Amino acid sequence: MKILLVEDDKQTADYIAKGLREHSHVVDHADNGRDGLYLATGEKYDVLIVDRMLPIMDGLSLVKAARASGVRTPVLFLTAIGGVDDRVAGLEAGGDDYLVKPFAFAELLARVGALARRPPITAATSLSVGDLEMDLLARTLTRAGKRIELLAQEFKILEYLLRHAGEVVTRTMLLEKVWDFHFDPKTNIVETHISRLRSKIDKGFDKPLLHTVRGAGYVIRAPD
Amino acid sequence: MSSERLIRLLRSASFRLTLIYAALFVVSAGALFATVYWTATAAMQNDMAAVLRTEALQLTEVHRRSGLAGLAEQIARRMNFRTRGPIFYLLQAPNRRVVVGNLPGMPPVDGVIDFVPEPDAAETEAERPKLTGYGLTLSDGSFLLVAQDANRLGDMQRAIVRAFAWAGGLTLLLAIAGGAWLGNIFLRRIDTITRTSRAIMEGDLSARIPVRGTHDEFDQLVTSLNDMLGRIQQLMDGLRQVSSDIAHDLRTPLGRLRQHLEDARERAKTTAEYDEATDAAIEEADGLLETFSALLRIAQVEAGAQRSAFASVDLSALVRSIGEAYQPAAEDSLHRLQIHVEDGVRLTGDRQLLAQMISNLIENALHHTPEGSTVSVGLRKAGAGFEAEVADDGPGIPATEHGRVFDRFYRLDRSRSTAGSGLGLALVKAIASLHGLTIALADNKPGLSVILRRVGQTHAEAKDPSLRSG
Repeated sequence: MKILLVEDDKQTADYIAKGLREHSHVVDHADNGRDGLYLATGEKYDVLIVDRMLPIMDGLSLVKAARASGVRTPVLFLTAIGGVDDRVAGLEAGGDDYLVKPFAFAELLARVGALARRPPITAATSLSVGDLEMDLLARTLTRAGKRIELLAQEFKILEYLLRHAGEVVTRTMLLEKVWDFHFDPKTNIVETHISRLRSKIDKGFDKPLLHTVRGAGYVIRAPD
Repeated sequence: MSSERLIRLLRSASFRLTLIYAALFVVSAGALFATVYWTATAAMQNDMAAVLRTEALQLTEVHRRSGLAGLAEQIARRMNFRTRGPIFYLLQAPNRRVVVGNLPGMPPVDGVIDFVPEPDAAETEAERPKLTGYGLTLSDGSFLLVAQDANRLGDMQRAIVRAFAWAGGLTLLLAIAGGAWLGNIFLRRIDTITRTSRAIMEGDLSARIPVRGTHDEFDQLVTSLNDMLGRIQQLMDGLRQVSSDIAHDLRTPLGRLRQHLEDARERAKTTAEYDEATDAAIEEADGLLETFSALLRIAQVEAGAQRSAFASVDLSALVRSIGEAYQPAAEDSLHRLQIHVEDGVRLTGDRQLLAQMISNLIENALHHTPEGSTVSVGLRKAGAGFEAEVADDGPGIPATEHGRVFDRFYRLDRSRSTAGSGLGLALVKAIASLHGLTIALADNKPGLSVILRRVGQTHAEAKDPSLRSG
């Protein structure tokens, strides 16, 4: 994947670029908003990672300008510890996701992956992985033809995982997408829900579909 | 009054105002004076001329009837008996010989004349009266002059001037004295305010301007200023408290972080040991970052900066969904979590913050109660507002501590050893007040009950109809 990183703090930029390159991504780096905009509008990227606070031109203006000149590349904003307003302003400016600094690298990697492989908005009525099938209209779930009953929130979690099948989905991503929680609860809400979900969809089957990726999150994928 | 104070008084705004008023008074009094002076003088002059003219015409009639001799006799009689009015006469034959009269001869002039008669030997310059007279040349060429002391006019004019001078001078004096007095009063009150602000600038934040209890504009101003000072002091105290709390409370985790790193460097022999020490250090750093983020969030919420994200929120749905989110976690920690939510409770607010507020309360209850406890979350309408309650049947909090649990970094002694930043309830309180909710603690007998109440619509909602839910 080709990624543009616009970040003025050299240490952070090196840390992110190094990590992304280790995961075999191609990274271009700009350390100010003007150069960032120049690259974003001139080159073709899969994802833009843009810091909010940048010299010469701030991140919001950069993304607004890029969007105005027709750049459709998904944007991940990096913000300092911020409030809800920051997040809303970022999304309104044309950002697709945001990440609050400091963050675990696994979190950044998972989000970049999710953005780049953002599925086209289709009117899919069913999702499936292996022998697990979810009917989005009837809101039913079957595995190997056997009906599985899920609670509303479990259904939402599984739907999100299925839409990102094969990708790592972090705990924070689930908190945001399923519960719209943009803060970090001290209680293991996600873990307990996943464990219940897992016992419903994987228990009694030979090959588990739902896997925990240590230090990163969860992934649902078809058995090899 | 010292000379410095006098100078300040003269430069004071109220004194300047008094001077302007005094000047205005002087100008208008001057105009009044001129009018009175000229009108009275003109009227008196007319009056005198009319009297003299009548006298002269009467005497002409006598002359016509009884000739020069008869007229002379008549004049002589009048001269003897008249004590006021026209008392000066001159009848002069055509050859300028004075026939009768108490005035020296003069060249004949017809009509009104002002003159000073030729001096007699007996009279001194100063005593010579100024006269006003009416002259008439009779049919036989003799000249008749009737005159009167013109000083009456001068007397009246002088009286008018005197009256105005006295009255004007006195008023002006009073105005200036009154202005000085008023100015002094204002100065004294302003001085008090200035002195107090100096004291505050020099560091005595508790100084307040005394209120006089007269409920005048000054008192109102002083009350507002005092309220403002109170608010500023409160904020300053809060700030000071927070910085000392941060310094105090972050020392421990920073110390632990250092220890873990030291462990990694000094003791770790195997990769596993090394990983373990680094993981512990990362965990410690995450905790620190979380504390910072919570502090920032509280500060932002308290500053009211989050209002821009306000929208109509279905609180019923929100509370229910949060309750469901915590259900499995509650079961795993062997708690019962009961949710009783009445439908249709809406609130204008920040959904994220409200979610965090409710989550913090539920987590707080789950965290501080032993296994087997019940935590119940309730939401019900109450009048125009609503009431939200998170209650448990755990050990509760002593009533004496109720006032302090919302302070930043406050933790009960028995919670010292458990995880948590001590910021959860401080954030709850900040979010509650941002949304116009009152928060109260009650003894659940046993346990603790936290009740959030909303009486009616918020100030912001009342002012801005677009914010109203619906």
